[in-house]
Amino acid sequence: MKPHFELQDALFIGFCATLLVVLKSMLRLKLGLSGHSMFLMTFFYLLCYGAVGRVGCITACGLLAGIVAMMLSVGKGGPLILLKFGLPAIAMDLALLMIAGVFKLRWQCVIVALVGCLAWASKGWVENMLAGMTQQIALTKFALNFVQGGVFAVGAALIVPTVLRRLQSHDLLRDHHKNYK
Amino acid sequence: MRVKPRRGFVAGKWHRLGGVVSETHACALALLLSILLSSAAFLLPSSVLWVLVTINAGLIAHGLLLKKKIAVLLRLAAVQFVTTMGLYSLFHGESQLLEGAIVVLRVLLAMLPGWWLSSTQRPERLGEVLSWGLPHQWAFVIAASLSLLPFMSRELQEIYQIQCMRGARITPKALRNPKNWPEFIYCVLFPLLIQLLKLSKQMAISAKLRHFGDAAKATHWPSTRDHK
Repeated sequence: MKPHFELQDALFIGFCATLLVVLKSMLRLKLGLSGHSMFLMTFFYLLCYGAVGRVGCITACGLLAGIVAMMLSVGKGGPLILLKFGLPAIAMDLALLMIAGVFKLRWQCVIVALVGCLAWASKGWVENMLAGMTQQIALTKFALNFVQGGVFAVGAALIVPTVLRRLQSHDLLRDHHKNYK
Repeated sequence: MRVKPRRGFVAGKWHRLGGVVSETHACALALLLSILLSSAAFLLPSSVLWVLVTINAGLIAHGLLLKKKIAVLLRLAAVQFVTTMGLYSLFHGESQLLEGAIVVLRVLLAMLPGWWLSSTQRPERLGEVLSWGLPHQWAFVIAASLSLLPFMSRELQEIYQIQCMRGARITPKALRNPKNWPEFIYCVLFPLLIQLLKLSKQMAISAKLRHFGDAAKATHWPSTRDHK
């Protein structure tokens, strides 16, 4: 995490991370589908990027969410929950470094969301391989997780530009985020 | 008239300080143990997995003695067991079912130390340990976010209930359909985000007016629970 975020931006990132964890624990969606957590994760990560507008803010949000989740015992993963929130965030930030400014915001959000989902599914694959699962089953699980998580992540990514436009209309975002097309 | 000796006050102060320091160090050790045990679940060979099972049984007993609930973790393990064993029987037949069970056991053993850590350690001590490795600004952000947690939860619940009364399709039953999730975002999350953006600006101004970040060495407000 870079120390030179402004305090206001750092606080907003922290609030987003906490809200993500609170919502995850409050809603407890019993869908029986893996990947639905990617919806909230993608939404808040991309929102942070839209509101703060700097590469590195998604990683900060992910790591803070992991720390808060670990402290509040949400997800029951302990130290592993840090990886669950952190890895997709780092992958999304790295993707942003490569594609920032190349596409329109909507497509940028979709691509970044898919990269985050890929990292999330990869983490499960590595865990399963370390636990001794056969490669065939681990890959099947990886593919299932990626498809399911990808649907939710893309759904969230499509909502973010609209939310940012509405926040801008309330004059809550700064000058350097004027184009939300 | 008898005057209370000053030594007692000082000793009491040191005793309290010692209690806080040892509790923080105990929390750091618990965090380290939790990480080690979680990693060992993946790295140890199957022949010595029973050692880890024994240690984790002790952790479960400790957690249950403190009356902590383990039902959610067990439900998660059951879902993992059913899906993994289903896939194993589909791809490999009955020959490798035992291997599948060991995989599920390893995943469960990786999650159990985390449950124990969060069940037995207080959040503020865990936060203090984590702040050892974090810059002061981010430690402040975590502390501020956690202290605002009751406010966020209350606001979230109030907005949610008001929107439910207005007829928004965001009841728990309606939210089982992902089509209604955007409505949840526009009705509940959006007003909350507006509040949080304003709040972050106000808090930042307030902290700067109190010379936040000006001193070379940050000071910490002690937890009120530590004095009890």
